[in-house]
Amino acid sequence: MKRWRLWLLIAVVIACACLPFITQNDYQVRILFRIAIFAALGLAWNLVGGFAGQLSLGHAAFFGLGAYGLAIFTARGVPMWISLLLAALVATLFAAAIGRIAFRLRGPYFTLATIAFAEVLRLTATNLEITGGAIGLDVPTLFAGRSFIRMMYFAAVILALITFLINFATSRSRPGYYLMAIREDEDTASAVGIDTASYKLRALLISAFITALGGALYASSSQHIVPDDAFAMEISVQIAIIAMLGGAGTLAGPVAGAVLLLTASEVFKNQFREGHLLIYGVLIVLVVLFLPDGIVGGLQRLLRRRNPPGSLPGSPDVQPEAGA
Amino acid sequence: MSTVLELKNVSKSFGGLRAVRAASFTMNQGEILFVIGPNGAGKTTVFNLISGFLHPDEGSILFAGHDISRLAPHQTARLGIGRTFQIVKPLSSLTVLENVMLGAFMHTPSPHRAEERADKILDFLEMSRWRNFQARGLPLAALKRLEIARAMATQPKLILLDEVVSGLTTGEALALAQLIQRLPEWGVGVVGGVEHVMQVVMKIAHRVVVLDYGAKIAEGAPAEVVKMPAVIEAYLGPKYREMAK
Amino acid sequence: MNGLLTGALYAVIGMGLALIFGVMRIVNFAHGAFLMVGMYATFVLFDQFHINPYIGFLPAGIVLFIFGYLVYLGLIRPIRNQSHFMQILMTSGIALILTDSAQLIFHADYRQANIDLVSRVLRFGPFALNAAALVSFAIAALLIVGLTLFVTRTLTGQALRAISQNSEIAPLMGINVARIQAFSFALGIAFAGAAGGLLLPALYLYPGVGEDFTTRAFVIVVLGGMGSIEGAAIAGLVLGLAESLTSFYIGNQWALIVDFILFLLVLSFRPNGLFGRQRA
Repeated sequence: MKRWRLWLLIAVVIACACLPFITQNDYQVRILFRIAIFAALGLAWNLVGGFAGQLSLGHAAFFGLGAYGLAIFTARGVPMWISLLLAALVATLFAAAIGRIAFRLRGPYFTLATIAFAEVLRLTATNLEITGGAIGLDVPTLFAGRSFIRMMYFAAVILALITFLINFATSRSRPGYYLMAIREDEDTASAVGIDTASYKLRALLISAFITALGGALYASSSQHIVPDDAFAMEISVQIAIIAMLGGAGTLAGPVAGAVLLLTASEVFKNQFREGHLLIYGVLIVLVVLFLPDGIVGGLQRLLRRRNPPGSLPGSPDVQPEAGA
Repeated sequence: MSTVLELKNVSKSFGGLRAVRAASFTMNQGEILFVIGPNGAGKTTVFNLISGFLHPDEGSILFAGHDISRLAPHQTARLGIGRTFQIVKPLSSLTVLENVMLGAFMHTPSPHRAEERADKILDFLEMSRWRNFQARGLPLAALKRLEIARAMATQPKLILLDEVVSGLTTGEALALAQLIQRLPEWGVGVVGGVEHVMQVVMKIAHRVVVLDYGAKIAEGAPAEVVKMPAVIEAYLGPKYREMAK
Repeated sequence: MNGLLTGALYAVIGMGLALIFGVMRIVNFAHGAFLMVGMYATFVLFDQFHINPYIGFLPAGIVLFIFGYLVYLGLIRPIRNQSHFMQILMTSGIALILTDSAQLIFHADYRQANIDLVSRVLRFGPFALNAAALVSFAIAALLIVGLTLFVTRTLTGQALRAISQNSEIAPLMGINVARIQAFSFALGIAFAGAAGGLLLPALYLYPGVGEDFTTRAFVIVVLGGMGSIEGAAIAGLVLGLAESLTSFYIGNQWALIVDFILFLLVLSFRPNGLFGRQRA
């Protein structure tokens, strides 16, 4: 990591740690908590959607499994923190099953399959007794006391930080390069010896584990869950869009996306009581049209030189060489 | 001269179309062998069968003595079969260097070592000046070389070049052909090519295999093969056969 | 029996998406949202001008055609050659805009178009049939036959099929690809909108009503085999039957799950669709 980036990261972490002490307002801390959670979720999604280029719109499946797992396990007497871990493991197992089927499909079929899995879970949760049907379940709070939401916020920041570091390590290592190769062209990837199915699956498993932890934290902060929230397509879309808006495949992108999108929707929510997702829609359309690499990706592109210079021996139009 | 690759009676059909019919031939250590034939003769299909992108319906493919006819592409790659794609498939948003590093990662998990290896190959293929540019903006001649560079980086025993000079100017093609002749310096045991630019084939091939409608119709030194009536007929149609005689 | 009646509407929705996704290869995640817009358009006609939905669906379809044409030109055409990734994002974005605009304008209230046809029951021996469902079935059947004839018999329809086979050669045959693509996108949207109008008497209307239909439409297209408009029609009927059988024997709430499971099974084992031809 370049020196200045390391300092920037440390500065951001310290700033995140101080934020809840600046405001005494629980409502505002709750917003900060949401931003941190969704930064973590966006970063987790980034492993699959950004690096490996597999557009999952079914991450609500893992989010919901984490949330329901925490509720169900604790209700059966399992200690809270172990329940949290178990819930994440269940989601990871489920991800293995999803991956087996969905990764055989490419392009839009993969995306459709991920949606279908999440929807099957949502509908199942709505209809089963163990999940409390449409009424849902109560979720225990992971922290006791008055400053409970502050503790939740710190937990979310730590999750986001860990996920960021996983992303960072990935981007600098062979697995990260392999995932990017898979994103760009699966045939080429396998021609250089990459077991594409296995790498995609590994990325999904890690992503699912973190997403489930995020879902459990989120559910614990609101203390009650219903299928239409926990397994909602909106969650899946929101996670993907946060990463894409900021810049899929970049490190800072999902964080920037979470800050921007959640702040914007908060402002919008206060203006209009209904239809606050409109801002999401407008932002998505604008990003796709004008910033297809996302905000961070677009900035990187600006900084990078474009037209490669020169030509090869025997080429007809030998251009003057720009110093490369 | 030892056999590196052997195809035994390999057949492959797509629906009703028999793309490859009972083809048998070998590729030997130290050899540059080109598979040639008219359009639709099944040349690229043969390469896809060898590299595991397709699996034969009948027959077997032996590489260094092992049957590889059911292996997946990444497995054949790991055994030492490198390949390029006729329709170039660069990893567009990655840099030229990163494209080549991906090949080098087969033998080292360290990005640093992969980079060193990639730089040497880029230097050999006269691509160093493009090192840090995204692959997507490169001219075709450079993209073709990038395909070769990436395959070379995996240190293959056998490299399969699928029409690497087609679409290039004559000058570009000949310059590249010279480099291909030097591939054995890099430890590449066998160079297999599919090509329809005969000028290049005649110049660098030690041996050619001719396919027509998926079947092998001739095999031998390039200068001899082009005189064979069956080959002339395949390329030009039956009425030229008389003239050739 | 009711399965066939809803199935016919599913067929209309599915054929609309088959035009867009199957033929034009545009991944339209906003299909259900357009259906919802069609429903609201029909509802406004009913509410303000007392136009019966079984007539109102027609102007609604026409409005949606124009709307679809404009959306295509403004938002889809600029990205039609980009990855599916971008198309999915764009159309999800459009879906969000449509759904939440509807929420701003009409609020989240559930609405209903009460027409007396709905409460009238016709008896044929042992079968009891809802008169409204029968009328909507008849209209849907007309739409299905009409679109099939259009695609197979007319010059535009043939041009459309030519493009779906090979969009590079089509222009050489004198086909204006850009116009045909815009046209078929708009036509697909119009069918979604018309189906929405026909659904109005049978469903409660709220801004999110289209969501399930997006996934359902994709299920239908995949089931019917990519690019096959006739396949989509059959698949729509099959899905309607499957859903009503599930509702009857297992329970209403499981119907949608059966859709998805069917979908996942088809994707895993018959990627060319239940009725699709095998391709090399």
